[in-house]
Amino acid sequence: MKKIFTISGLVLLCSLFFTYAYAQNVTVKGKVTDATTGETLVGVSVILKGTETGTQTDVNGTFTLAAPSNGTLVLSYLGYTSQEVPVNGQTTINVLLKSQSNALNEVVVVGYGTQKKVDVTGSVATVKGSDLASQPDANPVSALQGKVAGVQIINSGTPGSSPQITLRGLGTIFGSSSPLFVVDGVWYHDIAFLNSNDIESMSVLKDASSEAIYGLEAANGVIIITTKKGKGAAHIRYDAYAGFSTPTNVPVMANATQYATMVNEVNAASNAATFANPSSFGTGTDWLHLILHSAFTQNHNIGVSGSTDKTSYNFSANYFQQDGNVAYNKYDRITTHLYQDVQIAKFLKVGYTAILSGDHSKDIPGSVMYHAYVAAPTVPVRYADGTYGDPTLTPQVGNAVNNPQVELDYFNQTTQNYNFNGNAFAEIKFTDHLSARTSFGGTFAHQEVQAYDPVYAATGGQFNTISTLSKNTVDDRNWIWENTLTYDNTFDKDHHVTILAGQSAQRYRHYEQDVTAQNVPGFSSGDLYLGLGDNPTVTTPNASLETRESYFGRVNYAYKDKYLLNATVRRDASSVYSDQYKWGTFPSVGAGWVISNEDFMKDQHIFDNLKLRGSWGEAGNGSITPNLATAVNTQFYSNFGGGLQLGSGLLGLVPPVIYWEKSVGTDVGLEAGFLKGRLTLEADYYIKETQNAVFPVPILESLGASSGELTANQANIKNTGWEFTAGWKDHIGSDFTYAINANFSVNDNKVTSVTSGPIPLYGGGNGGTGGTLTTRTIVGQPIGEFYGYKVVGIFQTPEQVAAQTTQPNAQPGDVIYGNNGQKTVLGNPNPKYLYGVNINLKYKQFDFAADISGVGKVSLYNANESIRFGEENWTEAFYNARWHGAGTSNTTPSAFLSDAVNSQPNSFYVQDGSYLRIRNVQLGYTLPKSIASSIKMSSVRLYVSGQNLATFTKYKGFNPEILSTGTNGINQGIDTGVVPIYAIFNFGVNVTF
Amino acid sequence: MLSKRNNSSNLLGLASAIALMIVAGGCKKSFLDSQPQGQLPATQLYVNAAGAAQGINAIYALDRDFNHTAFPALAIESMGGDEVQKGSTPGDSSPMGLYHTFTQTGDETGFDDPFWSGQYQSISLANQAIDSIPKINMDASLKARYIAEAKFLRAYSYFRLARAYGDVPLRLHYPKSAADYNIPRTPRAQVYAQVEQDLTDAASVLPQSYSGADIGRATKGAALSLHAKVAMYEGKWADVLTYTNTVIASGQYSLFPDFEKSFREENENNPEEIFEIQCPNDASNPAAATSQYSQVQGVAPAAGWGFNIPTKALVAAFEPGDPRMAGTILFAGGTSAEGDAIPTGQVDSMYNYKSYVPFSEPILNGNPGAGQDVRVIRYSDVLLMNAEAANQAGNTTLALASLEKVRARARAGNNAILPPVTTTDKTALQTAIWHERQVELAMESDRFFDVVRQGRAGTVFADRHFKVGKNELQPIPTSEIVKSGGVLTQNPGY
Repeated sequence: MKKIFTISGLVLLCSLFFTYAYAQNVTVKGKVTDATTGETLVGVSVILKGTETGTQTDVNGTFTLAAPSNGTLVLSYLGYTSQEVPVNGQTTINVLLKSQSNALNEVVVVGYGTQKKVDVTGSVATVKGSDLASQPDANPVSALQGKVAGVQIINSGTPGSSPQITLRGLGTIFGSSSPLFVVDGVWYHDIAFLNSNDIESMSVLKDASSEAIYGLEAANGVIIITTKKGKGAAHIRYDAYAGFSTPTNVPVMANATQYATMVNEVNAASNAATFANPSSFGTGTDWLHLILHSAFTQNHNIGVSGSTDKTSYNFSANYFQQDGNVAYNKYDRITTHLYQDVQIAKFLKVGYTAILSGDHSKDIPGSVMYHAYVAAPTVPVRYADGTYGDPTLTPQVGNAVNNPQVELDYFNQTTQNYNFNGNAFAEIKFTDHLSARTSFGGTFAHQEVQAYDPVYAATGGQFNTISTLSKNTVDDRNWIWENTLTYDNTFDKDHHVTILAGQSAQRYRHYEQDVTAQNVPGFSSGDLYLGLGDNPTVTTPNASLETRESYFGRVNYAYKDKYLLNATVRRDASSVYSDQYKWGTFPSVGAGWVISNEDFMKDQHIFDNLKLRGSWGEAGNGSITPNLATAVNTQFYSNFGGGLQLGSGLLGLVPPVIYWEKSVGTDVGLEAGFLKGRLTLEADYYIKETQNAVFPVPILESLGASSGELTANQANIKNTGWEFTAGWKDHIGSDFTYAINANFSVNDNKVTSVTSGPIPLYGGGNGGTGGTLTTRTIVGQPIGEFYGYKVVGIFQTPEQVAAQTTQPNAQPGDVIYGNNGQKTVLGNPNPKYLYGVNINLKYKQFDFAADISGVGKVSLYNANESIRFGEENWTEAFYNARWHGAGTSNTTPSAFLSDAVNSQPNSFYVQDGSYLRIRNVQLGYTLPKSIASSIKMSSVRLYVSGQNLATFTKYKGFNPEILSTGTNGINQGIDTGVVPIYAIFNFGVNVTF
Repeated sequence: MLSKRNNSSNLLGLASAIALMIVAGGCKKSFLDSQPQGQLPATQLYVNAAGAAQGINAIYALDRDFNHTAFPALAIESMGGDEVQKGSTPGDSSPMGLYHTFTQTGDETGFDDPFWSGQYQSISLANQAIDSIPKINMDASLKARYIAEAKFLRAYSYFRLARAYGDVPLRLHYPKSAADYNIPRTPRAQVYAQVEQDLTDAASVLPQSYSGADIGRATKGAALSLHAKVAMYEGKWADVLTYTNTVIASGQYSLFPDFEKSFREENENNPEEIFEIQCPNDASNPAAATSQYSQVQGVAPAAGWGFNIPTKALVAAFEPGDPRMAGTILFAGGTSAEGDAIPTGQVDSMYNYKSYVPFSEPILNGNPGAGQDVRVIRYSDVLLMNAEAANQAGNTTLALASLEKVRARARAGNNAILPPVTTTDKTALQTAIWHERQVELAMESDRFFDVVRQGRAGTVFADRHFKVGKNELQPIPTSEIVKSGGVLTQNPGY
């Protein structure tokens, strides 16, 4: 008897097969549980050996199967060791399945396949999706922080924005330093569209031999993400949390009296306007606290999944909402994840993954937090008559015009993203050993940013005379088609060989279009259409097209799981390189020796597992700007006879050729398991050198290139380091289990050669640094180190100023430059140490988890203290420490930070950026089974969680996690963003029906 | 060791499948070709007349950008004068003030290097046009005019460089190979010689005037007037006299009756304006409203940032009742002739009236006053050069006549003010002409260079510690010297 249920109404073709077995001699009933934890296992496949007859355990872990009394049951379950149980006439068979979580049998996802962890010769770390989903992060990458050695994650505080991720140090300057993300076989550079709940596992490939199979994009690491498939009987899950986020660590600014006092100190000397009576202002306006507040956040995820022997499916939908901590700021997102595979015939399986997502945000002006930081506390939000407080009407040191409340009130911008991502695949099994897979997938992404700037007049400097409506769109159309053949066989029991051969073609198309119209009426949102305005203009700020063709192969050989060999080669071509250099070849080799499997280790009881492995490989960095060797014109508009005329000309120099940037990596690792799997240790040493790095060499300005740079393959960059991971798990009695995992990594970053020799590349100059250049990249030193004047004291008196000649523009209260007035190295923004600790405890129905992450030995340039493009406020700490007359301070300069001396890059602004953060804490309670089933649920867990509960740092800015401006490595660690750390407190449920 | 068992059939299948895939992949060579998207490859510009026109337009357009007309230009070309001070509040863009106190070092990021690079970008665009246009098959007279325009614009940039820095690298072609990259400075005299050659070439081709959609392009008069100015800085007074006489005799130019109104947008390209940088504020394309010349000097906070503001010394320089003072300086607390109340500022409350745009002007692209053209050479400058050259040549009559034309216009019919200069003493007349230049051309980035060429900077700028033998020239940007690996040398004293 076979029943087929068809569920229609889903977007894509999907049919589910439920299979019931034929009745036979004996009806066997039983329950399957985890041998260690005693947890019931749902969806375990129970097959009668030698047949296709079988069933699966239900939500209670039980199964019923008709079987011949002399038959044998085969029980298999992902992540567990399969087990054969003879029926022997029994009618009740309870089975304990052993988890494969010990290092020996664990299976890890590697490039284009899976491998037993013991057979892996490279450095691959795996993170379970459930460990990511338990954290309230919109982007799964954020949740990876502190979980894997050698991975640096910098989270942005802005809702909806993606974090920055770097593996094993910064290896590229010009392109993106982000790793490649491979989601179910499709390649991405950003996975903001992905919901953590849909992730089954994440594999982080860190060494060149694991990465090399991805050739052209693998130089900065590869993260392979497998989304959830169905498993076992159909069940419905509902996971949700709701809570609030609140800003923490917000700097205390000078109050109005302190502010006015400092303005007077600066302006009195220059005959500029001063305040008559500073203390009359009292404490004034606390702009930061006025702008910031606690905000609501919620997340709901509902999914149905299951499998039969013919099909597996997982459908889920998610709603995520995060209000910003600045008024008006809101972000929400809906994602759906649809996966299904169907075994059409014994030899053919087809399936698809479709991830649809849409998000919407109500934006805030990018500058509003900064303006709240610098706004004068002497200015009220509004005057008594209701008009806005006007910064231009009050004495000040700078030229500030912004009342932050006006910026918020008249800012009207929304951003929407729509993404379709996914793939369809077919797997053909030619023989037991030879199979083929074809997968076609890609991205269809559309972003729309709509902004309306109405006509208004709020203050002397904040007004708009012509309304404008702009709609800016960004579209991506990418596809990737990959075909692989896999041959897997074991010869003479001991020789396990896997051969992979594959081919890939990819196309990436990106284009942007900005359309603006004037005088669109703004009575309601229904008016906001470009056609209702006049003077429409269209610009295309950015567009690119890249096509790629690749061939790759891999051979794995394992002898008795003792001696391991792994070799890969990939040949890639990309259209963005010069004709004769389009193709790049990326080989790798790896070898491993599983010492614990040697005969001479048989009798020892210390190690469960001991493996030494080493690898070498090459990978490419494909994320450079396309067609760098093709000179393109800049467009201009000239004005003659009162009308605009198009102009065009070349404002740059291009190299004769551009070719592959290559990362060459060597990795030596040791893995060990002790005490029956309770203690695991892993250590790696690596050298990663980027060769022919695409590097902008400063060129003479007289060559007429507006960038002042010639970008070509002209540098080598080296990262060397150590990574350590240790885990301990055990139980005390049967009620208490615990696990602690810790990781620690050390990295050294250095530019090892530049074709042009020791000519420094300066960077880090923007409004945030008053335009001065704060970083230097030079051969022999790390990328983008801070470079400026070393402060050795403060000028106390005019006589002291007059007595020296190195600082002709100095005045009392200015910093004294050391090193004979010459600039010197002030710090390194590339962190030396990264670490994380993850703790999991379980006692009866309670569970507790905590994640700690940290960064050590890193410098940050606190440009918020130095930002001096015409706007000023100071922190209260600065007020208390500042120089304000001879003898008041020899370490903190006067309030005149914007003068010609203090405004230069100097060590006063370079601060220790090390921190330790309690990233996540969660306490859960699972209802006893009896109670859960009484409310018709198979499992109910309630929890409370907190994120960013505490940060320990000496850094004086808002947050020691600083996103680089742009993707450029020479601008790291310059703090101009003023988004505070926000702590998130949530209450959540996990329910399985 | 591999097994000896026969798996050849499987392996064969694998091999043939790989071969198939390679063949399938190998036949699409064109698949791997992609061009830059949304940008015109440089090789596709100078292929026809339309491309040539665009290439020339680009130079004019670039000449109004920030580097050419705003902070960098004001720092290098205006700040040294006694007529201006930094402006804004003390803490706002303080490095700009170093150019006023003669304490700049060449390391003022954002001021010295962008002026230098901006001029060289214009030169590069001009070189591209001069290299490429001759090869285009197009109307011969238009072709000649385009090349002449490019030469005029190249000369204008080299003139600004050599006047500010002295010896500068001379590039006359777009760099073709690495050997062209790092070249030493060429002596100022040779640079000026090239400027003069370009201007001679340009003047021989450019038309006297344009009509319609070409108004604003470089004319013969512009080339001759600029040539006269170059000759003046070189002290070639006979040439100054020749070129200015030619300009005057052309009959193309006359002084606009109302001094103040001649600087307003509605009177751009009036018969007094010999060459103006054309700055659009065109609602049809707000993104083209790029000039910040007016904004950086504009009345704070609504219309600008209030930099490069007049000094009391300039106020004092005007003769009693000279209406040009009210047409040159906007006084805070007062009202402009156009009816704008000028708010009280933070420091000395005066603004440059010559760059002023009424507050009612629509603000596009966030740049108030983007439409204000930059007056490069006015007819009154030509007349005063003519007067000075005639005086040098002993032609006092001509000198007095040309000077009087300028004073007469300023007088605007009010004979109670600005009496005609009558002295025939060569030195006294020269002093009178120099004074006339100070007030007529005030706030037009002329004063510093005038005083330097007159050889009296050491005394006129003594209060600011001008160092003779050093501050006549700006320091070469330090970053440029570093990049040259020592091929470029610094100016004396820096």
